[in-house]
Amino acid sequence: MEPAIYADDLRKAYGDVRALDGLSFAVDRGEFFGLLGPNGAGKTTFINVLVGLVHKDGGTAEVFGYDIEDDYREARDRIGLSPQEFNVDRFFPIHEVLEHKAGYHGIPQGEAERRAAEALKTVGIWDKRDTRFDWLSGGMKRRFLLARALVTDPELLILDEPTAGVDVQLRRDLWGVIERLNAAGTTVLLTTHYIEEAERLCDRVAITDEGRVVDVATPDELRSRGTDKVYVTLADPPAETPALDIDGVREIDRDGDTLVVTAGGGGRVAPALLRELEYAGHEVVDLDIRRASLEEVFVDMTRVDEEAEELGVVG
Amino acid sequence: MAPGTDGHSGADAAGGTAGTPGDVRAGAAATDGGTARDTTGRATGGGLLGVGFRSLLKREVLRFVRRPRNTFIPPAITNVLYFAVFGVILGDRIDEVAGEPYLLFILPGLVVLGAIGNAFENSSFSIFHGRWNEYIHETLTSPLSYSSMVLAYILAAALRGIIVGFIIVGIGLLFTSVPIERPFYLAAFMLVVPLLFASLGVIGGLLAEDFDDLTVMNQFILRPLVFFGAVFYPLGSLDPLYQTLSLLNPMVYMVNGVRYGFLGFQEVDPLASLVVLSGLTAVVALVDVLLFRRGYGLID
Repeated sequence: MEPAIYADDLRKAYGDVRALDGLSFAVDRGEFFGLLGPNGAGKTTFINVLVGLVHKDGGTAEVFGYDIEDDYREARDRIGLSPQEFNVDRFFPIHEVLEHKAGYHGIPQGEAERRAAEALKTVGIWDKRDTRFDWLSGGMKRRFLLARALVTDPELLILDEPTAGVDVQLRRDLWGVIERLNAAGTTVLLTTHYIEEAERLCDRVAITDEGRVVDVATPDELRSRGTDKVYVTLADPPAETPALDIDGVREIDRDGDTLVVTAGGGGRVAPALLRELEYAGHEVVDLDIRRASLEEVFVDMTRVDEEAEELGVVG
Repeated sequence: MAPGTDGHSGADAAGGTAGTPGDVRAGAAATDGGTARDTTGRATGGGLLGVGFRSLLKREVLRFVRRPRNTFIPPAITNVLYFAVFGVILGDRIDEVAGEPYLLFILPGLVVLGAIGNAFENSSFSIFHGRWNEYIHETLTSPLSYSSMVLAYILAAALRGIIVGFIIVGIGLLFTSVPIERPFYLAAFMLVVPLLFASLGVIGGLLAEDFDDLTVMNQFILRPLVFFGAVFYPLGSLDPLYQTLSLLNPMVYMVNGVRYGFLGFQEVDPLASLVVLSGLTAVVALVDVLLFRRGYGLID
């Protein structure tokens, strides 16, 4: 079965700026997929290529096997997009905006009205149905963008910074809705600046930088590439930093009675670490492992790349 | 179309495809594929005149119907003024023109003037405003075909032009009785002429960079053509040189055709005019579709 999204060597340049520079990856059906990257990495450009708001210069993109140019109607019909910017019809109350959008997707009037009502209830702004978009509060505007993406019952839900500037309660609400949809089989493509959100929600993430995909993996896999810190508190402060020969340990620092061990894969290292220390006559009273966050790995990956670029190693 | 977009087989799409450095592990964490939805058999907005098209048409019509203060009241007021000043106050001092009272002579021209102005304004404004606030993305990202989109914009705008035409005739009826000598020609011209300007308005809406551009198109292009389009005078009253020059003005043929429909008075062959205007409308509408397909003014 074709993947939900297939992108191969996508290219798009604005003058000298290469917004997409050979972007390639695939999203499986039913996946909750995160697209992470610093500003200007090409995330929004990529999304706009999929929905037909940006002409790609080269490469291939398909949605459920439908080429986004040759079979653009099939591809677009399957996508529900909640964009970063507010781009909503100002002339009509929001329930009519939803009915129109559903109509554009071939959904007849009666059914469109039912779905519009359902979508507004789902995101919790049914009581604002007769209001125009401009009169909604910021949080309600975000909710509405999600409702508009849902009203066509998409198989691929694309969320471009859906929780930007949104308070904690609303974020939780929105994620509840989205997770339920994903559980029901809707593929989700998410871009967000809140990396801990991606870490918690996504099955896999793609790290993008400068118009390319740097890596694709599960959040766990990515985190395991980062370095964890193991804090071992000893009963008696050691006079000097003990030398430990353990696979994976990169660095040992001493902070009073606590040893700070930097290692790839803290959980794997900890048992050997304890054995060695006790063998050397130390009494361990406390142990704490702090795993690398996805955010740290993300910053490492995108920063390293920048440095490499400057050195002329990449590109 | 951009190079390199063809010749890809969908079968390649399966499996690990991220041709990037690093270990890709496609599918490693994919949720159970069994729950992924079946994606066949969607509506995709229907055929040229399907549900999608009708939805956009409805949206476009409701937009102007719900804002009569911006769409219907202004031409009504303007034409009351035209009829009062040119028809009644000045008209009483002007002899019959072409065998008709002056008020009746100018009525067809005023109908054309109102119809084309409103048809042009509707499609150009609607598209430009949608671009300006980016909500035209709602249409562009939908599965509507470009032909359906363009047709909906054109038909709605033409409808507004035709309604304004009716309003102007209605106002004329307050001042005089209005004959209809050639109903077929009247109907045909009153269809084709608003359609033509609705189609031109689509181009205007795509070309405009800001709101002033729309004003410029209306004030500096449309209005002079209309005023020199034999609305307020017969061609026969001009020197031969200016008569010949006037024949370069497309407005002359439209006003002449509509006037023929109402009064049976003609200075240019109405059938030939109708054929040429219909052809022109088809060409402009085709250009509209091509511009939409290319995304001119719409997408990056």
